[in-house]
Parts: sequence; structure tokens; C-alpha cells
Amino acid sequence: MKNSIKVERAKKNITQAELARLAKVSRQTINAMELGKYVPSTVLALRLASIFETEVNEIFSLEPSDWE
Amino acid sequence: MIPFVLLGWYVVNYDIEPEIFDFTVPAIFVDEIFGEKFAFGMTENNILNEIIGVVLILSFLMVAFSKEKQEDELIAKIRLDSLVWATYVNYGVLLLSMIFIYGMSFFWVMIFNMFTILLFFIVRFNWQVNKLNKTMSYEE
Repeated sequence: MKNSIKVERAKKNITQAELARLAKVSRQTINAMELGKYVPSTVLALRLASIFETEVNEIFSLEPSDWE
Repeated sequence: MIPFVLLGWYVVNYDIEPEIFDFTVPAIFVDEIFGEKFAFGMTENNILNEIIGVVLILSFLMVAFSKEKQEDELIAKIRLDSLVWATYVNYGVLLLSMIFIYGMSFFWVMIFNMFTILLFFIVRFNWQVNKLNKTMSYEE
């Protein structure tokens, strides 16, 4: 699964640590998601969308390997 | 935890049973090799090994399942993965031991096996968390 957390974060001009605090997770989790190593739960995805004031679809998108 | 691991190893290895730990204790089931056999009653026992066993299990559980500084969903996932991994490894080792280890040595395997699942879990969980912390060097 691809995501644009880093881009959204740049738009809002906040650091990983700040985003982690807002989303109530650790910075490790934000970092792992940005690196594509961790797929967040639906709740966390919705929280991120809410923080970035956008839709989940705008941040996360499927890639071919997700269908395998 | 570590002092009790060493103490437990020493006590079991040298079969130490100091008299001050001799007590009459309630039992649900007693089946001695050359002795009585009954359910529900009182029996004589040296409680040193019981004390060590209980402390060991409790300390292992505390080390294994105490919360991380920030316990979020990623940590929860690593925790579950590690627990499954520890179960596989533990039973893998037990299977090999069953096939290749006999006699009194297998008795030792059974003693260790009471604790190894938690031990494997602790090692694997901390290793994964460390790995996660290391990969997070970059920012912005």
C-alpha cells in the first residue's frame, strides 16, 4: 500500500514527532508507515485523514502487490 | 529475574532442599513414586523450588508483557508476531528434543521448557523493537 503521509506532512509543515503526538502513536510508527513498512489500522488511517483534514483515499492508495 | 535464574539452576542442579523450607502444604493431587497416592489433602514438601518457580514465571511475565513507553498499534503488532514466533520456535525445539534426547536429559528439557517460550518471546520482541528504533534514523 502506498501513502502520501510525507507529502501531507510537508504541506502542513509538521515533523514526524508532532504528527505522532497528534495521532497518539509513537514516532517509530509514523516513520515505519512513511517507509511503507507498516500498514496502519483503519482507525489510525482515519485519524491521520482527520489531522490532515482530508479523506483516507487521498493519503492511502492500493498498489498491484496488494492484490496478490 | 536473573538472580533467580541462577539460583534456580543451582538449586535444581545440586538438588538443594534446606530444612527451613520444609512445610506441610495443601495439595490437590499427590502421587509419589514410592508412596501414597491421593487427591485433596496435606503433604510434606520442600517449598524452595516452588518459590523459585513462581518468582521466575512472574518475573518472566513482567519482563515480557510490561508496557513499552509508548504502547501503540505497531508495538502491539510486534508483540503478537513475536508471541507466535516464540510459540513456533519453542515447539520446534521441543520436537527436536523429544526425538533426539532421552533419559534424565529429557527431564532437563522439560524443566527448561517451562520457561523457554517466554524467554524466546522476550528475546525476539526486544530485538524487533531495537531494530525498529535503529531504522528510524532519518527525519524530514
